[in-house]
Amino acid sequence: MNAAGRWAELVFGPLRSSWRASLGWAIAFVLLIVSTVAFWPVFKGSAALAQAFEVVPQGLLKAFGFQDFTSPAGYLRGGLYEIIVPLMFAAAGVMFANSLIAADEDAGRLELFLAQPLTRRAFLAARGLSVVGWLAVLGIVVLVSQLASDTAFDLQIADARVVETVVLCSLLGAFYAGLAVAIAGLLARPGLVLSVGLSLALVGYLVAALFPLSEVLAPWRQISPWAWALGGDPLVNAAEPWRYAALAVPALGLALLGIVAFGRRDIRSA
Amino acid sequence: MSEPAPIETPSTADSPALRITGLVKDYGEVHAVRGIDLEVRRGEVYGFLGPNGAGKSTTIRCLLDLLRPTAGRIEVLGLDPRRDGVVLRGRIAYIPGELRLPERQTGHQLVAAIGRLRGGLDARRKRELAERLDLDLSRRLRDLSSGNRRKVAVLLAFLSKAELLILDEPTNGLDPLMQHEFLRLVREARETGVTIFLSSHVLSEVQRAADRVAVLRAGTIVAMGTVDELRGRARQRVEVWFRDEPPAAELAALPVLVDQLVEGRHFAALLAGPIQPLLEVLARHPVVSMLVEEPNLEEAFLDLYETAS
Repeated sequence: MNAAGRWAELVFGPLRSSWRASLGWAIAFVLLIVSTVAFWPVFKGSAALAQAFEVVPQGLLKAFGFQDFTSPAGYLRGGLYEIIVPLMFAAAGVMFANSLIAADEDAGRLELFLAQPLTRRAFLAARGLSVVGWLAVLGIVVLVSQLASDTAFDLQIADARVVETVVLCSLLGAFYAGLAVAIAGLLARPGLVLSVGLSLALVGYLVAALFPLSEVLAPWRQISPWAWALGGDPLVNAAEPWRYAALAVPALGLALLGIVAFGRRDIRSA
Repeated sequence: MSEPAPIETPSTADSPALRITGLVKDYGEVHAVRGIDLEVRRGEVYGFLGPNGAGKSTTIRCLLDLLRPTAGRIEVLGLDPRRDGVVLRGRIAYIPGELRLPERQTGHQLVAAIGRLRGGLDARRKRELAERLDLDLSRRLRDLSSGNRRKVAVLLAFLSKAELLILDEPTNGLDPLMQHEFLRLVREARETGVTIFLSSHVLSEVQRAADRVAVLRAGTIVAMGTVDELRGRARQRVEVWFRDEPPAAELAALPVLVDQLVEGRHFAALLAGPIQPLLEVLARHPVVSMLVEEPNLEEAFLDLYETAS
């Protein structure tokens, strides 16, 4: 058995033990996407709905992604990709990282593994890769169910736009997972990892959605990872390459911070 | 991730299995370990005794580099647990005191996972150990009793071919039959040259298994030596039945006798020193019967505690 075998165990072992949670997330995503797209024929080109939206201030419509709601891209944005899907990816990232690192350490389940011939940093890096693995699986599930639903319910949108949007949402999840890894690396406090991770995900959305409503705050919208991910409206426009890097690089940096911190501190026992 | 070195270097081969010098571990204001010095020879079974909260697990977790000492120096198999941790942990097997296993896995899955991390385990030995421990590895760990989960950890430790077994309360939850089997495994391992560091508050277990013992109290070692030496330091219970009234005044004058009690012709006391002065007094008076109880380690242990506190 070589180092590759050890890495395989470190990365795939947690995947095997957490597949139920991932299945739950996958089912939730599929149900959400299929049930949302299933109503597209009702809203498609609806003049009445377009008129109803005309009385709502444009800023408010944009805050919730409902501008141009009767178009395919507008419908997917308002129904799925402005709030719910990215928020679910962010929550999944935080929860996976919390479950595989902070909660396991808090419960004393890491002790036996950290007593084996491996470094703590390798162990945490592998757990981080497990989290990325699950987010990638969820990304594929979302992508496949979205493309299949589009075909089934005649929602006409370029596949490339859907692919880019789903990849950016997945990377947003990876960003918040990186944040959770950083906190879990610093402290074995699962409650703290969840509360800080999920709160910052929500704050990120609010900053991206609501700051543009204020002239003073509007320039500060760019501090939100949500703006980096979805600010270019990827369902309509091709996403610039920097958006991917803006999410992936900090995610990696935060995870590295957690990995370094984890190597320096005491491991909590049950 | 580097491979554990299968062959030790000559410079570490002659070193003791464990050498702890001035180990201190503080958690903020709490002083868990207050300066421990300890040396364990290769191939011996070393008992590490103390009640809950004495600092046994904290010391052990420092040996595994799970905790970072506040002060002091640790050498395990001649290596530094922090600097050489990967190599070292490949030569150590460990049973945690607070055992938490991945609940959704079966015993087989966990053993296979640890085997992959350690670079392989002997399948035949696994079957043999499972049989000896009467352990069903096909069941999910969450469905096992705490005793059976402990057996999984015992199996992993003795399956590992490690040079040093660090066992923290290894028989917690095991029934007497399995405790007996565990002690057999310890003796067999020692015969093959394995060093065993056995932390326990079960005194009879240490008494039966250990060559030498250290007794820990409130983060400090209060006694160290062979089991016989510790037993020798404890006070023996002496009872004497006289034909007539006991010579109370003469007996009271003997400083080696404490907690004296006279009831009719019966005299009882604890002997905290050589027995010769007592025998000289008794020789001058008619004695019907006499009993001197050798203390077991438990009494020695409690004695040491009382003395230390």
